[in-house]
Amino acid sequence: MSMDEKKIRLRLEHISQSYVVKNEVRCAVDDVTLDVYDNEFLVVLGPGHCGKSVLLNIIAGIEKPVAGQMFLDGGRLLKSDERIGMVFQKLALMPWKTVMANVEFGPEVRGVAKGERRAAAQKYIDLVGLTGFEKAYPNELSGGMKQRVGIARAYTNNPEILLMDEPFGQLDAQTRYAMQEEIMKIWEMEKRTLVFVTNNIEEAVYLGDRIVLLTRCPGRVKQVYPIGLPRPRDTVDPQFLRIRKEISQNTDLAL
Amino acid sequence: MKETPVLSSAEKKELRLKRIYLLLPLLSLALLFLLWILAATGTNKDSFPSPLAVWERFLLIMKRPVKDYTIFGHVLQSLRRIFSTLVVAWITGISFGVLTGWNRKADALLSPLFTAFRSVPPLAWIPLITIWFGTGEGSQMLIVYTGCIASIVVNTQAGLKNVAKMYLDVGTVFNASSRQMLFQIAIPSALDAVFAGVRTSTSAAWMVVLAAEMLGGKSGVGFLIVRGMDSLDLPLVLMSMIFIGVVGAMLAVLTQIVEGVLCPWTRKKSA
Ligand SMILES: Nc1ncnc2c1ncn2[C@@H]1O[C@H](COP(=O)(O)OP(=O)(O)O)[C@@H](O)[C@H]1O
Ligand SMILES: [Mg+2]
Repeated sequence: MSMDEKKIRLRLEHISQSYVVKNEVRCAVDDVTLDVYDNEFLVVLGPGHCGKSVLLNIIAGIEKPVAGQMFLDGGRLLKSDERIGMVFQKLALMPWKTVMANVEFGPEVRGVAKGERRAAAQKYIDLVGLTGFEKAYPNELSGGMKQRVGIARAYTNNPEILLMDEPFGQLDAQTRYAMQEEIMKIWEMEKRTLVFVTNNIEEAVYLGDRIVLLTRCPGRVKQVYPIGLPRPRDTVDPQFLRIRKEISQNTDLAL
Repeated sequence: MKETPVLSSAEKKELRLKRIYLLLPLLSLALLFLLWILAATGTNKDSFPSPLAVWERFLLIMKRPVKDYTIFGHVLQSLRRIFSTLVVAWITGISFGVLTGWNRKADALLSPLFTAFRSVPPLAWIPLITIWFGTGEGSQMLIVYTGCIASIVVNTQAGLKNVAKMYLDVGTVFNASSRQMLFQIAIPSALDAVFAGVRTSTSAAWMVVLAAEMLGGKSGVGFLIVRGMDSLDLPLVLMSMIFIGVVGAMLAVLTQIVEGVLCPWTRKKSA
């Protein structure tokens, strides 16, 4: 399948964001133009503070860009949309809600009947391996488990496009590898369009169909890499290492 | 942390320390009691009653109630008074705090009034209330109300003004309505602040109710302590003071327990 055959789901055109900090305009995202294809695993890779979260927040409707337009399936995207879900960098699990209540939050907000939303939530709780923890509160869980709750919450609302903001950034290396495999497994079972943000080159090459490399502050698209490697990918395969090296030579990332 | 023998010996040490920390308060209380006995034996019996005299006074009031109530009766009267007032204060105070903490227009409109009211210490309201409404049950409750409303409002307000942005962002992404934002996100996330208000208002009410009862009440521990003062019945005064202290401490523990039951996630965090 070549790229041009693929259907464009989300299109960003000249998206820019800046803030006034201490009477100075600070640019966070600069003129980002980007297409996201149906069911692809798109990784947005960039150094810390380059505007990755800002970009996702704009797509999610949490903030409005100062310039640019967005289109979802051809229609203007102006505010938060039910078709778009998000896994937050800061997790943002509600500490006063149990795992179940957190996961079923999306359908609950939409007014889905209790039985139905419980069933949906249970499906994803099982899928991320949290069966048995439905009644636990977030602060009783480990970092990796909390992240799973965040992922289950996003999936349960059944979004067509899923944004993930450095979901594994806080995890130790061991857990991180496990979660990468897990998310790959879920993505293959439950095909969605995924926009996955990371600052980790290896993670990007391991996961992505395409990698969008951003520049250091402000975030600008530096290059887009299609990754054709077959899955599951082997992180010490010579091909893998070659791509990884190519990207790292092109970035300001320290690695 | 890993399980190592080093840690287990550290745990043992911690256990020993824990025991010491449990014992020390008991020791200081025992010391206080001893000082009391010494002070009472060294001074005039009428101006400083001994623990025994207080105990005997306690037995007496259980046999011969003062104004129809034993000491427990008076404590219950005071408790009834503060809790019937507190319920009103919690309902009105939390509503007001939520309204002004969440809605900026309501905040701009109403908060100055509240600040003006709050700048006058609760006890300064007593003369006005007494002149207007007398010293009956209603006035006493009004005095308690002025004494406990501020803390509940201030804490609720602060809780709603400081809802973490990330929780609201979750609401935005899931397309929550403004009603859902308030009831599903803002209020629950403010609950620990609200409970801080509930705790402070309860202890404030317990303090102010004594003042209210001292002004011509016909029951309650405040009334009892004034009765003791008027009749120079110092054992009665001292006994009332002890009950006031113990009940105050129990109220603090009770509100903590209720918070743990109503907000189980805070309980599990501290465990
Ligand atoms: N609301 C805001 N006000 C001011 N500056 C902001 C705001 N949000 C983000 N920024 C700035 O924009 C830059 C990009 O932030 P962010 O997108 O969070 O980086 P990252 O790529 O690590 O996710 C940072 O320098 C940050 O300080
Ligand atoms: Mg970020």
